[in-house]
Amino acid sequence: MSFVQPLAPNEITDPELQALIRRCEALGVPDALFPRVLARAPDHAKALLAALLHSHAEGGVDHGLKEIIRVRLARTAGDPYFAGLRSARARGAGLDETMIEAGAGKFEEDARFTDAAKWALRYAREMYLNPEKVDEAFYAEGKRHYTEAQIMELGAFIAFHYGMQSFTRALGLGNKR
Amino acid sequence: MALDPDRIDAAFYADLRRHWSEEEIVELGAFIGFNIGYHTFFGTLKFYPMFAPDGRLVSQEESARIYGAAPASLSRGQGTGDKGKGAGS
Repeated sequence: MSFVQPLAPNEITDPELQALIRRCEALGVPDALFPRVLARAPDHAKALLAALLHSHAEGGVDHGLKEIIRVRLARTAGDPYFAGLRSARARGAGLDETMIEAGAGKFEEDARFTDAAKWALRYAREMYLNPEKVDEAFYAEGKRHYTEAQIMELGAFIAFHYGMQSFTRALGLGNKR
Repeated sequence: MALDPDRIDAAFYADLRRHWSEEEIVELGAFIGFNIGYHTFFGTLKFYPMFAPDGRLVSQEESARIYGAAPASLSRGQGTGDKGKGAGS
């Protein structure tokens, strides 16, 4: 369900927006539902969808790690919609539910995650639960694993996706009631 | 949305529709979500205004001396008049 009804596919006539929705459907994150709600504000929809796709699927940080982080964040945000979606690209590269669950759990004790991945997962966890812990020392540790560009990419990815997850929760997307 | 998302229900949207169009509600929601995400991130970066109150372009070190030791965005609920449960709670 959604508190704001999605537009029907035949109501979305902007070719650029149609192309973005096809890209979303191909990746699987988001699927067509959120884009069709966003399409009620078409100029915003185009900017937001392009940025969502870019932040998740492009850049210098592993897409599979971002996918694990994204699901963890959706659970923190209490958003069943994004928490239930999976990237087809990450799945095709071998990411399975075991690793996604591990990333959402006690990852710091899990030898399957590198020190760099653990730092990125802590970044996502602390950003919205204990932001005061993301301090100078935390960033200094991050710089041992990532370039400044990668840290900005990760931070912006985390902020953007958490924000959109807060929005989709408020829209009621993914709720069965 | 940030402090008590469970209060945003069908009745809340019905009230919104008395004031705003569907397009405006989507625009507002996206804008608010974007800011929920980014302001906390910006707070962790501990960056300061680029300009002094008199309009001079200043370094981050000088800006920190002018504006104080901790950016307000790291202080939960500060300046909103809300009790502020904090992000993610």
